[in-house]
Parts: sequence; C-alpha cells; structure tokens
Amino acid sequence: MENFALLLDGFGVALSVHHVALMIGGVLLGILVGVLPGLGAPNGVTLLMPLTFAMDPISAIILLTSMYWGALFGGSTTSILFNIPGEPSSVATTFDGYPLARQGQASEALTYAFMSAGFGAMVGVILITLLSTWVAAFALQFSPPEYFAVYFLAFASFVGLGGTSPFKTIVSLTLGLAFATVGMDTVSGSLRLTFGFDELLRGISFLVAVIGLFGLGELALTMEEGLRFDGVAARVSPIKVLRTIATMPRYWLALLRGSAIGCWMGITPGGPTAASFMSYGLAKRLSRRRANFGKGEPEGVIAPETADHAAGSSAMLPMLALGIPGSATAAVMLGGLMIWGLTPGPSLFNDRPDFVWGLIASMYLGNIVAVVLVLATVPIFAAILRIPFAIIAPLIVSVCFIGVWTVASAPFDLWLVLAFGVGGYVFKKLDYPIAPMVLAMVLGEKTEDAFRQSLIMSEGSLGIFWHNSLSGTLMSIGVALLLWPAASLLFARTRAKAAPAADA
Amino acid sequence: MREDATLVSRFTMEVATAVATAALGATTMIGASEHSIGWGDAGPEPGYFPFWIGLIVVVASIGAMVQAFVRHRGTGEVFLTRVQGSRLAAFVIPVFLFVPIALFLGLYVTTAIYLLAKMTLQGRYSIRRALPIAVGAPVFLFIVFERWFQVPLLKGPLEAMLGFY
Repeated sequence: MENFALLLDGFGVALSVHHVALMIGGVLLGILVGVLPGLGAPNGVTLLMPLTFAMDPISAIILLTSMYWGALFGGSTTSILFNIPGEPSSVATTFDGYPLARQGQASEALTYAFMSAGFGAMVGVILITLLSTWVAAFALQFSPPEYFAVYFLAFASFVGLGGTSPFKTIVSLTLGLAFATVGMDTVSGSLRLTFGFDELLRGISFLVAVIGLFGLGELALTMEEGLRFDGVAARVSPIKVLRTIATMPRYWLALLRGSAIGCWMGITPGGPTAASFMSYGLAKRLSRRRANFGKGEPEGVIAPETADHAAGSSAMLPMLALGIPGSATAAVMLGGLMIWGLTPGPSLFNDRPDFVWGLIASMYLGNIVAVVLVLATVPIFAAILRIPFAIIAPLIVSVCFIGVWTVASAPFDLWLVLAFGVGGYVFKKLDYPIAPMVLAMVLGEKTEDAFRQSLIMSEGSLGIFWHNSLSGTLMSIGVALLLWPAASLLFARTRAKAAPAADA
Repeated sequence: MREDATLVSRFTMEVATAVATAALGATTMIGASEHSIGWGDAGPEPGYFPFWIGLIVVVASIGAMVQAFVRHRGTGEVFLTRVQGSRLAAFVIPVFLFVPIALFLGLYVTTAIYLLAKMTLQGRYSIRRALPIAVGAPVFLFIVFERWFQVPLLKGPLEAMLGFY
C-alpha cells in the first residue's frame, strides 16, 4: 500500500494547471507527429528534447511522455482513415481498421482503436504502479556485474527475439555501441575514435542519429513510394461513439490477451511493433470469427491496439526501475533524463520520488487526456492530411534540420544527420532493425563502464559475471538468447530432413 | 523502358551494405588500436572495448554478406525500380543541397528557399500561392524558437542585415 500513498503524492505533483496544460500540449503535438508520416514518436520526442533542457525535469518528462501517448494514438488515426500507418507499431491496425472505415464505420473503428488503446495503456501503467518499487528495490542490490548482465540481456533479447536476420541485428547493435565509444573515454580520459577531427570530440549524439534514422530515412521511404492519401471521410458522431463503447466489454478476452502480450513485450525490449503484430496474429488464430479478419473485424482492431499501447506504457517500467529502455522512444527519454542531470535506475526512486511518482501519475492522467483529445480532434487532424504532401514533406525536412541544430548548434551535425538518414533508409529497406542501434547508442557508455568496472573487481576474469546466482542467471539467459537463432535453424534443418521420411 | 525496371537489385544492395558496415567496423578497430587494446593494471585499457566491438561488427557483416549470397543472389528481388529511383532523387538531392546552403545563409532563409523551390518546381504550385507559405513558415519558426523558447538557430547574412543575432 506504500505505493498507493506515493501515487497519491504523485497526483498532487501532476495535477497542477501548469502540468495539465503541458499534458494537453504534449498530446496534441504527439498526435500531429503521429499523424504525419515520416515523423514518428522517437523522432518527435527527439525534436522536442532540446526545448526541454531549460525546464525542470518533472515538467519536461510530462511533456515528452504526453507527446509519446499522443503519437501512439495519432498513428492509429491514419491507419484507420487513410490505410497509412503513421507509426510502425500501428501497421497491424490497418488490416481491419481501414476496411471497417471503408464500410462507413469510421466512428466505430476509431472508437474501438482508441478505447482499447486506452485500456492497454492503463494496464501497463497499473503494472508500473504495482511493480516499480519492487523492481527498483531489487535492483538496488546490483553491482557492476549485475548491471552489465542486465544490459547484455537487453541486447541479447533483440538478437534472440528479433525475427529478422540475427547478423543484421548484431550489426545494428554493435555499430550503435561503436558510435557510443566515440569521443572522451570517461574512465581514462583519452580521446577515442576521433581520427583527429575536432567535431568528433563531443561524441556522436544519439539525438542526431534518431532524427536521421527515423526522420529523414523514413521520409525518403515514404517519398519513394509516391505517397497518395486516399482517405475516408472522418466525421465522428458522439452517439455512435457511446454506442460502440457500450459494446466494448464483449471483447474482454481480446483486451486482456492484448494487454498481457503488450506488457510482456514492453518490459522485455520487444517493443510495441512486435507486440501489436503478435497480438493480431494470436487473435486471428484463436478467434471464432477467424474468417472475418482482414475484412473489418472489430477484434482485429482491438487486439493490436491494446498490445501496442500496453507495450508503449510498460516500456517505461524497465526504463525507470533499471535504467534500461524497452523501446526506441523510451531510449530517447532515458538519454533525456541523463541530460537533465538525473540518474535513471533504482536510485531515482530514493533520490527523486516526486519525479518518479509525478511521472507515473501523469501517465494515468495523460492517457485519459489523450483518449478524450484524440476523439475530439479526429476531424482536425484528418484535415491536416488533406494538405498536399508537396507542402508537408519539405516542412518536415526543415523541422528535422532545425531539430538537429538545437541539439548542439554544431554545423558538423547537419552533415552527420544526412549520413544517418542514408543509413536509416538503406537499413529499413534491407530489414536491418534500427531500434537496437538507438538503444546501444544510449546505453553504450554505461555498458562499457559496467563491463570495465566488473573486470577491475575481478582483476580480469570473465568469471565475475557468474559470481552469484543473479548475474549468472541473467548472463546465462542472455547467452541462450544469442544462441537461439542458431539453435532454431539447426532444429528446422533436422526437422526438414526428417519430414520426407515421415511422409513416406 | 519499363517503369518497374530494376535500377538496383536487392542482392547488390545487401552486399554493398555489408561491405559498408564491415568497413565501419574495421575503422573502429583501427581507431581503437591507436590506444592500448589489452589489459592494464586497472582492467581493460581504453582501446579494448571498441576494438572487440569493431571486430564483432566485421564478423556479423561477413555473416550478413554470406546470407545475402544464400538468400538473395539471382532471385531477381528489386531494391529500387526506375520510378522509385527518380522519386527518391527528387527528394534526396534538395535535402543534400539544404545543408551547404544553410551553413551559408542560415536555417530560416534556407527553409524559405527550400519550401519555395519544392512547391513551385516539384509541386507545380504558382509562385503566388507558394510564396506566402514559403515566407510564413520560417517567420513562424523564428517566433517559436527565438522568442518563445529562446533557442537561437543558425542565422546568415539576411538576419544580420535586419539586426537579429
């Protein structure tokens, strides 16, 4: 019950006029970012980040998380009305959302999406409320080997659960780690990998990388497809909305299953995109109305949306309690915490309880604000998409460059973002996952520090990572995950060999 | 010439990307070996971690390359068609021109020029319709960044002439 009292204190922090205004502003900006293709949640949060450097950390995190919720909701709007996912994580929503809207049930489709998204997010936030102090107290016993084991596990789970080629995941991940080592070495003070360029002394900013990878790279992909908006007229009728809400309890199973998948994928760094696809796939396999999937089945909207938002919000749990982000956007926010002078991880719960619980309370409020606002503003944001892309796209490009400049006022970064843009475009088209690179860039320094401190403790023996059952277990799971793709490949080979024999 | 004719095949691009990432990995290893990459009195030396990370990048890139030969060679998969290529060029070339112009004229003026050029030359808007947007957007951005958020952006000769610093 201690958490409950702390949560009430948190509401005291979050429920000020200033903070609620920030929530509304953040959600609206987020919806805008989510609606516009090429501007996603990670990129939007990154663009806003430099403007928060002057704010106090609580206001800053409320603004950024609200923007995150808004972006998740905005992505679903375009999926349903335009068949264009505004966010990678809302791709699965297009499968049934767009057909539903085409049948004249746009209000219903949007209501299903937003209500189940709100439900999923709430489950995620409740999970955070219940578990965060426990996880943080547990993590307070961590010493460097345990920290390295946790980072290692986070990286390994990308490789093991990634779905795409493990080599490509490893390339993306280790390149991120390599970029993170550029600049001043915090342990010895020597300058690494600068090759004599003064511009590299500051290191490579992950903010610049995100704007290039997610912003310019994604825009290039959109432009190449010759984007045409073919929208369904969006008029949200309040009566239809209420009537649809009344039918929501019928889908309790899909809601609970989606939440469970989402929470799991959010806490392990599977991320919202994987969660929404997995939830859609499961719902399709298990539903009685399987044949209706893909033709406008409400369950096909509810399942991915619930999981998407449950994952999006529960990704904040490992970020707060362990200092390990569960999604690319959470990784950006983690970087922000460090810039604001906070140390993410368990000690934050003791040092700044007002920050932690203010943030958690703001997640409850922010999601309610987001559901109401997104329903109310659908016509406005649908109208924005009717502005020709010949105007919108150049504006987004300009905003990306301006965002890069605000990071460090460095001319070199403008060139760097072009390089990351090219990389993001190529990586995306060849199915290299990008989230591991961002995560590695944010966590790289801490990973290396934990690694080196551990080895200083053990005087060079790698056995230190198995020195107790906790870090030993984490490391062993990590190693197993790394070997998983190879093992499953071998398994598939032997089964393929065995199968013809069984048929005969 | 068909519109969906292949400009770049997937296989070519897979191999080129694997070579590029391997080169980045090798660069990391070279950069790391400027420092000591072994073990010192205080555990791993500064070059140790980047050196091994670079090595993993190289090895995984080789893995991706092998996979490209197994999965994508001779499959006829397309990376970029001609139509996509011309659309991509129409987007990318102005973006690459943006940076040198911005370093010379500042971000606000470049945004105006870029918007005007994109809308009139590629979007087929008349100058009369494009001009208000091309001028209005940077003015709005100026108010937001310089006045509201007090974040100064890169400025050029025009702002200096008008007395804004």
